[in-house]
Amino acid sequence: MRRVAATDRRARSVSASGLVAVVVGIAACGAWLWAFLATDRVWLVAALLVVAAIAFVLVPRVDAVGAYRDAFARHRRVAVALSALAVLGVGVALYDQPYPLLMLCTVLLFIVPCIGLTIQTGYAGIVNFAGAAFFGTGAYTAAVLASRHVPHLAGIVAGGVVAALVGSLLILPMLRTRGYYAALVTIAFGILFSTFLEVNNALGGPQGLKLPGIDLVGWKFNRDVAVGGERASFYVNYVVLSLALALAAFVFARRVERSWVGLAFDAVRLDETAAAAFGIDIARAKILAFTLGNFLCGIAGAVYSMMQGFIAPNNFTFGESLILVSIVILGGLGNPLGLVPAALVIVVVPQKLQFIQEYRFLLYGVLVILVVLFRPEGLLPRRAREYFAGTLR
Amino acid sequence: MDAGVLAQYAFNGLMLGVIYAMVAVGFTLFFGVLDVIQFGHGDVVMAGAFVGLATYLGLGALGIAVPAFAVIVVACAAGFTMALAGAFIARYLVLPLRTAPAFNTLLVTLMLGSVLRELVRLFYPNGSNPQPFPRLLPAAAINLGNFTLRLDSTILLVTGLVTIFVVNLIVRRTRLGLAIRAVAQDSETARVVGIDFERVVLVTFAIGSALAGIAGIVYGLYYNEVNFDIGLLLGVIGFSAAVVGGLGSIYGAILGGFLFAALQTIGSVALPVSSAYNNVFAFAIVIMLITWKPTGLIAEPASERV
Amino acid sequence: MTFGGLTALDALDLDVAGGEILGLIGPNGSGKTTFFNVLTGLYRPRAGRVEFAGRDITGLAAQKVFRAGIARTFQRSRLCLPLTVFDNLMIGNHVRLQRHLAFNVLRRGALRREFDANVEASRALVATFNRRLATRLFDAASALDMIDRRRVEICRALVSAPRLLLLDEPSAGMTHGETRELMDDLLQVRAARAELTIVIIEHEMNVIERMTERCVVLNYGEKIAEGPFHAVAADPRVQEAYFGQATA
Repeated sequence: MRRVAATDRRARSVSASGLVAVVVGIAACGAWLWAFLATDRVWLVAALLVVAAIAFVLVPRVDAVGAYRDAFARHRRVAVALSALAVLGVGVALYDQPYPLLMLCTVLLFIVPCIGLTIQTGYAGIVNFAGAAFFGTGAYTAAVLASRHVPHLAGIVAGGVVAALVGSLLILPMLRTRGYYAALVTIAFGILFSTFLEVNNALGGPQGLKLPGIDLVGWKFNRDVAVGGERASFYVNYVVLSLALALAAFVFARRVERSWVGLAFDAVRLDETAAAAFGIDIARAKILAFTLGNFLCGIAGAVYSMMQGFIAPNNFTFGESLILVSIVILGGLGNPLGLVPAALVIVVVPQKLQFIQEYRFLLYGVLVILVVLFRPEGLLPRRAREYFAGTLR
Repeated sequence: MDAGVLAQYAFNGLMLGVIYAMVAVGFTLFFGVLDVIQFGHGDVVMAGAFVGLATYLGLGALGIAVPAFAVIVVACAAGFTMALAGAFIARYLVLPLRTAPAFNTLLVTLMLGSVLRELVRLFYPNGSNPQPFPRLLPAAAINLGNFTLRLDSTILLVTGLVTIFVVNLIVRRTRLGLAIRAVAQDSETARVVGIDFERVVLVTFAIGSALAGIAGIVYGLYYNEVNFDIGLLLGVIGFSAAVVGGLGSIYGAILGGFLFAALQTIGSVALPVSSAYNNVFAFAIVIMLITWKPTGLIAEPASERV
Repeated sequence: MTFGGLTALDALDLDVAGGEILGLIGPNGSGKTTFFNVLTGLYRPRAGRVEFAGRDITGLAAQKVFRAGIARTFQRSRLCLPLTVFDNLMIGNHVRLQRHLAFNVLRRGALRREFDANVEASRALVATFNRRLATRLFDAASALDMIDRRRVEICRALVSAPRLLLLDEPSAGMTHGETRELMDDLLQVRAARAELTIVIIEHEMNVIERMTERCVVLNYGEKIAEGPFHAVAADPRVQEAYFGQATA
């Protein structure tokens, strides 16, 4: 009886210290994020990047990390909720600084199509170099619907649906081709998309389209918010929406991966012949993955376009698709969590270090080449499928 | 439609076909020898054009203005530097990823193309704008009704065909070509019989990239203008042409190149939409052709040992 | 069944009785794996019929053949190495799992129950094969040695309770000792499922001798002999196929 109690007590104290570790870890990341977004000083940005780099290099080598990871797994729901709260907290802390808030929203909104690409490429092995085209489809859908006074929420969802439908045009080529050929099809489609938009004046041509800010059931997003005596930038509204979207996409992707559906995706990616020999419907799996991914790209594009208030064909070119792919590769193909640091590096760093802003496409290219050559698994490598917490024993 | 105008379209189509064929042959050589697609190959063409342009300007600065001499120097400079670039790409980007999943090579070469584009756009003076390419060939012309047969265009057409022919000759009739074909067929066995695998790969990439560099010069001399982003279109179409003709077959690549040019030309003649839609049409054709014949019109489908 | 100009299978008439263990032997290139591939829908035959349990399954897609109750292993190991042993087994069991997206994303509690049930069942199955392996259910397949990988492959084929099991050179690349272990495991499994029909392709004659009741010999895509192993081994035509014509 006493031994059981002692074991219980020890288990509880391990659990409690794990919880404390989770809280401390998330709070530290939150503070880092706030400082990173808020500052203008190059030395501070560099210092923060160095701290992050050290953390990435050192942390895996520390023995305690295994326990730390277990702690996160055990307190998964708490960790997710706390992370969301931390991001919200950062948004609140930056309440009167529109520019950092805009950056935060952009990061969150870019993470969503990257999650879509993760499902397509990381899970099901479908190569997609037209991510920006589907993002743009959502954007243009939202623009057209908004101009016809369709309720904005419906317009956003429609953005995702139309992107998925446009993706279905490529289903036949995607199913019939493999590897390089499939990549070629999506590259061709991506270029076709932006070229078509530029030549076609019905959708605004090269001048683009204007959009109203989001108006959700009467709450106008583009109005600064007055709280107490303070005025908060209207971007706070977008932070909340983007966070909700990113969170939903993240939880969705993680549940898909940790399920029989994710298993089927992996089987199709790793060995189609074997998967077919055991009754897995290859076509269905690929269509599902491709459609889900494109839907996410479209929804994010719709929100992004309404936040920006203006879209043009040269926002959604092949180069932008390469940015999305760069984030996915840098983060670690197949691990949605890695998208967070990767998006911060690729979206925010050039904004912070203005002197590299002009060279950013060049740097992205070099960065991806280096990652693929020397650390192909990315910042956060994909780990074995853990269907439910604690089941990997 | 007037015969002269048709002839003009046909000639344009032939020129386009030669350029596409030169790019496609590169793709097919690389795939043959290493089962790899160098997605940045189109941008190698662009880089060759810009190297040629820079060489011309350099010659001008040195006071050398003889066009016949200049054009040879320019072409050699483009071919030679791109050959070196090709060997570099093979040695440091492609060969190290030989054992990694194909997706990694795809990414690296795609990003390489992007890097080349950005390097030109950022570091070539006024690089983001189209650059005029000098007229280095004699401007004589014969008028046949509405069709003007120009000497410089004819020279370019012949040059393009000759370079493809020379590459084919190298592959079919020389010992080096024999080594290339041996490695393409079975690299293990080729190594066993003493062929230096890496050297063959480097040389193949050098040859393909040199061809691309010269294609860049042909492009520049024909259109009298080059731009930092012409590589993307050329790369996609060149790759598609190689695929349609059957990856690994030089004749197939040539056929594919001319086929694409023909389709594009017929499209721009027959369709009642503005020429701005040309590229859209071209890419739509790419998608449809690849869907219809994923393994090409000529080559046999590869079979996997189950 | 032809590949280009090469006829891989020609007029092969084969009957397999329910519950028997049949050996399929023949020199390299005689069409044994091709036969499996035609059977399981990977290749379409130019002519001929395949009947299974009273049903015509000729030319059906691989997935449908599997659902009819035929499972197989491959000559070249086709495990998904980055995945865990359990994941690989569940690929074999996939048709019996709840595969709808809505279920997997929204009904996590029910998914958990299905997961737990399958973990139990997998452990039990692997344990009948090899008790030690059953403790490594969540190790990556890449961490296993060759013989354990073969065991997992056979388990993957068995996990959906097929009626016909096709084994393609299960002992390839293994030492004599490992082969004997694997055969012990197989016989154990067979003892627990007497109604399972097995066809084994093998080059290792000890396996055929020990495991099969009857065998069929192929050469150049044709059946040249049939019967119990000892009878077939003594058949001069079979010897000629393997060793070439006797001189003098």
